[in-house]
Amino acid sequence: MKSIPDKNILLFKSCLVSTEYPGIESSTKYIFDKVGVEYVIDHDQSCCTGLGHYSDVFNQTSTTLIATRNFHLAKKNNAKNITVMCATCYAINKKSVKLLNNNDQFREKINAVFEDSSMEEMKYEKESFNPSDNIFHVVEVLFNKKDEINKYVNMDFSNFRIATHHACHYCKVHYEDTIGGFRNPRILDELVESLGFNTIDWYNTKRNTCGAGFRQRFVNKPISMKVTGDKLLELNKENVDILIHMCPNCQMQFDRYQPYLSKELGVDFNVFHLNITQLIALAIGGDPYKTVGIQTHTVSIEPLIRRILDIEV
Amino acid sequence: MTADIKSSNSDKDLKVGVFICRCGGNISDMVDIDKLKDSIDLDVVEEFVNLCSINGRKIIRDKVINENLDRVIIAACSPMTHEKTFQDYIKPLNPYLMDMVNLREQCSWVHENIEEATEKAICLINASIGKVKQSQAVDPITCQSPESAIVIGGGISGISAALSLGKQGIKTYLIEKTPSIGGNMVKIGKVFSPVRLAEECGMCLINPVMNELIWNPNVTIMTNTKVLSAERRVGIFNILLERSPRYVDSDKCISCGNCSDVCPIEVLDSWNDNLSTKKAIYRPFSQSFPDAYTIDIENCKKCGNCIKKCSMNAIHLNSENELIPINVGAVIIATGHEIFDPKLRPEYGYEKYEDVITQSELGRIMGVNGPTKGKLKMQSSNRVPKRIVMIQCVGSRDEKPDGHKYCSKVCCMVALKNANIIKNKYPDTDVLICYTDMRTPGMYEKYYKHGQENGIRLMRGRPGEISKKGNSLIVNVENTLKKEFMEIETDMIVLSVAIEPSEGTKEIAKIFDIGLTEDMFIKEIHPKIKPVTTDVKGTYVCGTAQGPNDITDSIVQANAASAKIAELLHDGLEVEPFIGEIDFEKCNLCKDCIDSCRYKAISTKDDEIFIDPLSCSGCGKCLTVCKSNAINIQGNISEKIFATIDGMLKGKKDWEQRILVFLDHVGYTAADNIGVNRIEYPKSIYIIKVHSINRVMPKHIIYALKNGVNGVFIGEYPGDLMYDEVEKRIKNMKQKIKEYGFNPERLQFSTVYIPYFTGLARKFKEFDTKIKNL
Repeated sequence: MKSIPDKNILLFKSCLVSTEYPGIESSTKYIFDKVGVEYVIDHDQSCCTGLGHYSDVFNQTSTTLIATRNFHLAKKNNAKNITVMCATCYAINKKSVKLLNNNDQFREKINAVFEDSSMEEMKYEKESFNPSDNIFHVVEVLFNKKDEINKYVNMDFSNFRIATHHACHYCKVHYEDTIGGFRNPRILDELVESLGFNTIDWYNTKRNTCGAGFRQRFVNKPISMKVTGDKLLELNKENVDILIHMCPNCQMQFDRYQPYLSKELGVDFNVFHLNITQLIALAIGGDPYKTVGIQTHTVSIEPLIRRILDIEV
Repeated sequence: MTADIKSSNSDKDLKVGVFICRCGGNISDMVDIDKLKDSIDLDVVEEFVNLCSINGRKIIRDKVINENLDRVIIAACSPMTHEKTFQDYIKPLNPYLMDMVNLREQCSWVHENIEEATEKAICLINASIGKVKQSQAVDPITCQSPESAIVIGGGISGISAALSLGKQGIKTYLIEKTPSIGGNMVKIGKVFSPVRLAEECGMCLINPVMNELIWNPNVTIMTNTKVLSAERRVGIFNILLERSPRYVDSDKCISCGNCSDVCPIEVLDSWNDNLSTKKAIYRPFSQSFPDAYTIDIENCKKCGNCIKKCSMNAIHLNSENELIPINVGAVIIATGHEIFDPKLRPEYGYEKYEDVITQSELGRIMGVNGPTKGKLKMQSSNRVPKRIVMIQCVGSRDEKPDGHKYCSKVCCMVALKNANIIKNKYPDTDVLICYTDMRTPGMYEKYYKHGQENGIRLMRGRPGEISKKGNSLIVNVENTLKKEFMEIETDMIVLSVAIEPSEGTKEIAKIFDIGLTEDMFIKEIHPKIKPVTTDVKGTYVCGTAQGPNDITDSIVQANAASAKIAELLHDGLEVEPFIGEIDFEKCNLCKDCIDSCRYKAISTKDDEIFIDPLSCSGCGKCLTVCKSNAINIQGNISEKIFATIDGMLKGKKDWEQRILVFLDHVGYTAADNIGVNRIEYPKSIYIIKVHSINRVMPKHIIYALKNGVNGVFIGEYPGDLMYDEVEKRIKNMKQKIKEYGFNPERLQFSTVYIPYFTGLARKFKEFDTKIKNL
């Protein structure tokens, strides 16, 4: 397995995390601080463009230009290990590094823009970042620290049926780097297991996407909802209580649209949606509101917490 | 360059004779033979209209004997056509004391000015005189390998190979690690017939072959045996085998089966793909060989029931492993394949659903000697399935890291075969094959059509996932021809899993130091024109150890491999004597040469470097990496190159341009083709034939440049094993040339191809012009 850093990390801010589920970021910081992962956040960092890029609003050149600027910030902070909370940031940044390293003509085109704008310091030097050794997802950093995390677990989720939903942009784009398998992705399952809880592991539709498909959610809503609904139906069949996420876009698709789909399909869906960092933060004592940020969820997490506390009482 | 590199000229007194061939005018029309003869300052200078004739032989032989010639020059055509002829004509002189000057292909056929062609001919003969004086009498190396061979693996490939070897009188050891020979073919039930539109009984086809093998006096079959180590020395493989005990003396056992009846232990029967059980004392299958029972010692509780029951006293529970050393002259690797683990595709639910099985398991179920005695039944119930969906390319044609990029080649036919068998016996069962592409080349296409007429349904599309609804399995698939998503309800699913290299293949490759392909099958030294030959001399491969192959192809390969071994062992092996030799005084055992050798000819033996003359090609690559200059190529190669350069530059006028062209066998043939096709090229081109481009060292090029050559052209065929190395070396050479103060542009490296001789002629012209303009 590739070596995973625990310092010189730039915790890469995500638009959907900041605006939809800020609890993912505060949970990540909470866990990082607890297990001694050293990171910086640079508020000058821009969004990866992913949502726009996959909706054909930003072309590859603009996307890579912005990525290059972000890489410069990482370097400036002496934090070359870019660690993302969103699977789309992961795929976008990896692709940009690959393009900048391998396509000389494209790199020169990008660098020319910085030159024209008198921002020479932002120019990209070939091979200055490595797609496999410098771009990580938070789950990978946590995976590397899972034994350490286990020591702090003080909340018991073992009475819940937990399933995992792995992000397509983590498993299906740069699969040569994917940890824990991409046919049957298991990195989230292994993380949950390391806390001492079980997952249901494989279930039908486990590898299906969330259905968001970026603009598909808006322009092809029936297809988008069909995919999301299929998975929810399958989760119902498996009596799943909690679905674990690793991408704010997936979480949004399921959490925000679950009540809508319940109504559309006439089926009661009662699945709680948590990011893996939120689950870990809760398990190791994070405050449900201040740290985990459950107040921003559509499907209320409070019943879940109440059930755990009841059990403990 | 220093003079000491050239050998001292104590060879002044050598008596050299030159024989010039007119080639029926082919040479003499363009070269002034009288002028040529006058220019040669030797006592014996003869000419004849066609030297290669029987009369030519008489002239040459008489002169060699009567004039006591020490060296002979034949100025005629290309050595490619007649070198062997003239080596014979100069007898009793040693064949390596003769040199050929290529007056036809390199003078008369490529130049159109008699004066120029004659001048060049004079120069070429002079160079040859210098060169031939450096020649040494060397004898061809002959090796006689022991007339024996080992065949590793007792499946259909190994059985076919061993039988063929045995019938050719070669002592053969057939090694099989399991308790019986037979391999996969005995398991698969029926086999597809390439031409007949029918399925035939596999066991009935292989059994006579096995019997013939068993009765062949030259073949020793060793089951329960594996290779522990192997060492190769001058055509002899010293191999250490380990035979594990079968705990039943096969000489005494009469296969009555009484022991099995009293054995209390039931274990899964791997011969039936674990679909049934067997006892811990068992016979692998009813026609297995040796014709005896064996004990699964891992599961045996040593209760002793079988010992008490055995009337032949054949059972010995305390037997031990036995080490057996053998020496053989050749090796056939027939270590077979394994199948892709269907658990790696969790979406197909192989572990989850009983009625998801592999084609191999279906083969056992349909086999009359299988767990259901040939009755098609679902695993979950005893019912005949109403529908079966077969999924092709599981693990094959898969770009992702845990799949195989290659096509497993046999699965389309295997699926059609099993589908046809089902259709024949259970016409009411619907069989649907979900394929990526149907690949049924040649006569197999007819079988494919036959299957369709039989009612087999086909759908193009790779299923995405299998789920369960009630008692049925649901296949989610896109019909990619109709662009329709479908959910197909079925009772049974059969996965056509990929053929994979076996662990045994990888182990054997390591033991014998044989190269593997990127897919970890045994690599052939040239998959196009040297099939079944591996990169270790004397070892061959056949069957699925080489890649996915069906039974027919495996047998073809097995017979090819045994024919190659017969060639090797029957005639002995005569190799060109120009191979590497080690100066042990200078060698510091750094072993750099071992890694550099693409022919795997170098190893260590008793703390000394050892070059296997059978494997060494004499390419000279090791010379370039040996820092202590401890390796030399026999036959004064370097000195000959210096002498040729001297000769070719002799009498060069200041205004004249001369270019030396170094070509190996392929390049030289391409240059001959220029002549054969009468394409003109500049007179400045002087071609030097070398055994390998590696033998041209920087010192030769710098020597040539210092002595006035205008340019050096090196050509190499890109398919040559050494091409990449040569390309790298040229860069270093250019740097060196620069250090000596010459323009590196005076050295040119180029690809050459035999059929692309026009390109080579054009390159000669372009290089000549480029040098002129420098």
